[in-house]
Amino acid sequence: MTASDPCAHCEEVMQQYMDRVLTDAERAEAEAHLDACAYCRKRYRFEVNLRQFVRQAVTAEPMPVELKRKLAELRTPLQ
Amino acid sequence: MSETTREPDARRLATDARDRVRFEEDALALSDQVYRVARHLVGSREEAEDLMQETYARAFRSWRSFQPGTNLRAWLLRILTNLNIDRGRRVQRTPDMQPLEEGDYFLYNKLEASADGTTDEERVVERLSQNDVVAALSEVPHDFRDVVVLVDVGDFTYADAAQILDIPIGTVMSRLHRGRRILKQAMAESAVGGEES
Repeated sequence: MTASDPCAHCEEVMQQYMDRVLTDAERAEAEAHLDACAYCRKRYRFEVNLRQFVRQAVTAEPMPVELKRKLAELRTPLQ
Repeated sequence: MSETTREPDARRLATDARDRVRFEEDALALSDQVYRVARHLVGSREEAEDLMQETYARAFRSWRSFQPGTNLRAWLLRILTNLNIDRGRRVQRTPDMQPLEEGDYFLYNKLEASADGTTDEERVVERLSQNDVVAALSEVPHDFRDVVVLVDVGDFTYADAAQILDIPIGTVMSRLHRGRRILKQAMAESAVGGEES
């Protein structure tokens, strides 16, 4: 289960850890390693910041007002 | 027709109209969120706008097939991705055989190595620009990008993404894994150049 290189293993499971899809045992193992390893902890914090940054960068462009109006016009007219 | 049979009919029509109006309002209230995802599933703003209009026109026509209580945002995006495929906007195929990308720590290591002694992880992120991210995302091949956009931008679960794209959940996981790595590699290239080591 545990790779011979625990940092390589941590790197491999980090995205799933952040997605909260690891089993309880895998999660506990990842957390124990992060608690003990400054190298991986640093990279974990970076990954958390990076995800936030990507989401903000990508969603910065709002929906055009004109499009919103066009969509509203597609509604079924009231009789 | 007698009054007694007409009355339930009228009531049914009124309920139907009320449900439809509510559906349309709910769908429109989600349009900003749907657009944010749509914008990065296709190549340009114009395409995203066309696709949004086609999606909402179809959703309003087939509102009865939406099951109340289920995820409306996912339902709308399912229509949108199907329309996107039907319209032949996605001609690019998954390059399955391309060499495997770097690991998950690659981007951090690259940025750290190129930073002038800045190893603070929050400052390291600041070395990327918004444009780097948007440009890098557009470089990710469609099949991978769809999953990354739905999960990391649209905040959908693996199960929702699987349903929207009509692919198995295991495929969502593998494409997400790979798509994120391709994205990071592209960000590293635009931020610090791809050739340095």
